Amino acid sequence: MNAAPETRSDTTRAPMIEARGIHKYFSGTHVLRGINARVAHGEVVALMGRSGSGKSTFLRCLNRIEEPSEGDVLIDGTIITDLRTDVNSVRADIGMVFQDYNLFPHMTALENVALGLIHVRKRPRSEAQDLAASALTQVGLADHLTKYPNQLSGGQQQRVAIARSLAMRPKAILFDEPTSALDPEMVHEVLDVMRTLASEGMTMVVVSHEIGFLRKVADQLIMFDDGVVIERGPTARVLDAPEHARTREFLGALK
Amino acid sequence: MMHMTNFQMTIQQWRKRWAYQPWFRRYECLALGLAVWVVAALLFLPPFGRPAPLGAAGVILWYLAGFTMAGVLLTDREKPILLKRATSLSVIILFFWLFYRYSGTRWDRVQAQFFDFSRMDGVWEMYAQGLLVTLQVAIVAAVLSIIFGLTFGILRTLGNPVINLFLGLHIDIFRALPLIVSMVLIFYALPFVGIRLPAFWAAVLALVLMNSAYQAEIFRAGIESIPRGQIDAARALGLGPGATMRHVILPQAFKIVIPPLTNNLVSLVKDTAVAYVITVPELLTNAQQAVTWKRTPTPLILSMFVYLATLIPLIHLTRRLERRLNAGNTR
Repeated sequence: MNAAPETRSDTTRAPMIEARGIHKYFSGTHVLRGINARVAHGEVVALMGRSGSGKSTFLRCLNRIEEPSEGDVLIDGTIITDLRTDVNSVRADIGMVFQDYNLFPHMTALENVALGLIHVRKRPRSEAQDLAASALTQVGLADHLTKYPNQLSGGQQQRVAIARSLAMRPKAILFDEPTSALDPEMVHEVLDVMRTLASEGMTMVVVSHEIGFLRKVADQLIMFDDGVVIERGPTARVLDAPEHARTREFLGALK
Repeated sequence: MMHMTNFQMTIQQWRKRWAYQPWFRRYECLALGLAVWVVAALLFLPPFGRPAPLGAAGVILWYLAGFTMAGVLLTDREKPILLKRATSLSVIILFFWLFYRYSGTRWDRVQAQFFDFSRMDGVWEMYAQGLLVTLQVAIVAAVLSIIFGLTFGILRTLGNPVINLFLGLHIDIFRALPLIVSMVLIFYALPFVGIRLPAFWAAVLALVLMNSAYQAEIFRAGIESIPRGQIDAARALGLGPGATMRHVILPQAFKIVIPPLTNNLVSLVKDTAVAYVITVPELLTNAQQAVTWKRTPTPLILSMFVYLATLIPLIHLTRRLERRLNAGNTR
């Protein structure tokens, strides 16, 4: 176990991400039923739950890739679920990493990472490419700048996706099951990058079932079930002494 | 002695190789069959001209016999590929030769009617002018229909019900309406409501209306085939809808739509011939004028060759383009 995770997050400021009473309906089905969550600056929060429990939908609501039906999301104290907010600039400040990478197949790794810098951050092309190259170096892909996604392994692709988020200098990164689509031997290379990010103080919300990884990295664990939060608390406490029967059931199934 | 041994060795190898060949696949049998077949042709094939029923049956039987032997040869893995190619070519040539001999056609008349190249002076210039107009109509119509088709296709993916209603109407109508009908209506009926278009632009308009409808569907399908995750990733980066379309969706969609799109463009070039009915001086119109002028249908035959000579290279060009795009590293 590494140093007490609680000391890393700064709880005196307004939370980096705050969700207030999020509801989401998909054509009649009530997928999220009033979710509240606070993610402090530099905190790593893990979301767990069975498939269909709403954790991914909730994550996608945090940068309005999915529009919440009710409730508010605050980023650094500002309400972003307001019709007047410029949703694109909000999204630019929050990175997102997907289960199946979603790299742009018609661009090289470098172009994938530079795209947002050029067209969202409006950096000149050469500067954007330098920044992109350094982001790719940061995730250990300095040798693969000019490769296309289909020339890279799953783990490498996911690291490009992380670099794509990192290059934007985000306030926080959302991870949607980043290792679920990977072959087992590639999982660790992605988790290593994420662990480094966490230790550098990046605010992260992670949907993941990698218990060992979460135990070391996540400060807070939130258990979803059927669209509600059934349990939340410090990761170690929830993992070792789950209070809710469903949590015990779920964790038991994972082992 | 050395000679003998070598010779025997060869025979032995040859035997080994052919030991499992059925008798009718052996070269000697095929050669014998061929010889009998040729002798039969020399002895029994009826003379030039339409044969009597019995003679016709004989010709057909004789052709089928040759066809069977060719089949035996072609279905054999052991036979060399060159021999097979020569055989299949011979079978095809033989068919046309038999048609030439026994169809009863007066070939001298055919030649005088359709292949009378002696009086074609002045016609070539007409073809050049006609081809130029054909290409002008085709290029203007192609560019405009791609612009409108792409715009309509993108608009269709927005899911706006009002836009979809109008575009759906346009797409349904102009995919259902025969080109010749819309072209005639535009040229001959629109003047009654005060819209008078030159023949050239009437032809372009009709072509654009139809092809933009087809292309809107092509582009819409291409755009909709891009996985949802691509849009999510682009939007999550902070790209707006326009930038997402321009930098992420369209580059991928273009690659997907290239085959159906080039297909559509080739048929657009062909369809310019319909402009003949509204007197656009394109290739077919000029060919028809040459027919009246020279009092022989030869120019029509010639126009066929001009169309082929223009379109076959175009088709091959599009195929090359497709292959080049697919050879890229992306997907």
